[in-house]
Amino acid sequence: MKVTILSIALAAFSLGACNNSQTSTAKTDQHPDSSAVTTEGTSVRDITDVYLQLKNALAEDNGNDAAGAAKKMVEAIGKINQSAFTSDQKKLYADIEPDLKENAEHISENSDKLEHQREHFVMLSNDVADLIKGFGTGGQILYKDFCPMANDNKGAIWISEVKEIKNPYMGKSSPTCGSMKEELK
Amino acid sequence: MRLIRKTLLAVLLTFVIIQFIRPARNRSGQASAADFTKVYQVPVDVQSVLQKACYDCHSNNTRYPWYTNIQPMGWMMARHIKKGKEQLNFNEFGSYTGRRRISKLKGIANQIRDGDMPLWSYKIMHKQGRLSDSQKKLVIEWINKTADSLLAD
Repeated sequence: MKVTILSIALAAFSLGACNNSQTSTAKTDQHPDSSAVTTEGTSVRDITDVYLQLKNALAEDNGNDAAGAAKKMVEAIGKINQSAFTSDQKKLYADIEPDLKENAEHISENSDKLEHQREHFVMLSNDVADLIKGFGTGGQILYKDFCPMANDNKGAIWISEVKEIKNPYMGKSSPTCGSMKEELK
Repeated sequence: MRLIRKTLLAVLLTFVIIQFIRPARNRSGQASAADFTKVYQVPVDVQSVLQKACYDCHSNNTRYPWYTNIQPMGWMMARHIKKGKEQLNFNEFGSYTGRRRISKLKGIANQIRDGDMPLWSYKIMHKQGRLSDSQKKLVIEWINKTADSLLAD
């Protein structure tokens, strides 16, 4: 009888534990290991750098690399150092951050769904373009490109580090669709 | 033979015991100032679909079917609701930043279009979650229109 009671208690306990384990891992995901980087944290330039990696992965139809870059973006957002931000920049960043992070999370979790990643890339590109508007390009020359066919033919922009068009929405099926709208310095 | 009896008894007793572990119910009963309907002028027919097919997991008020009184069904439901509300809560839509609202709207339309939402497991148990093509079209068109007008601002 003792064995029975013990096994019941164990069973009930482990079931309860199962229920909790998911939430605890989810929480640790949001706070990546801080020992991996210096205490200085990341800058907006770091975010735009991983954005460009993400953009290039999508242009290559590579959902895995896109997910990897998006994950790096989520990490960069988590470690952002705002000490050098002006008050306007802080406000702008606070407005952009939740959306940027959420879109990056969705892209990182859908490595097998390129089209789904691209849907989130539409909004994410708007966010990054607005970030650059407020923070500058960090010394590099960037280009704002536009593809009228993307986003269900409603059109969408993206930011590129190269002058030639490499379309992240169409990928290899139509790599040169679109045009450069603006040079950002 | 004794082993089988013991095992069966253990399973039965476990089942009885877990019935006492009840998750808290998702029922605030309060109207939120950040509610979806306060942020946008939602047409009645659109709101009715959202309410029936989405609000059980994406709001602060769930209509609980009888079987959620039995564990572990109640636990599974509680987990779905927790996850659902983290992703999207219609009662707290107004607390999202402007650009996040647009992303959420587009996400809702895309998920319905792709048939990813409502979840198939929800649709099995809830007839109201199975949307007809015209219901889907109604909701998707209104949401896309709203998102596009917000983007143009």
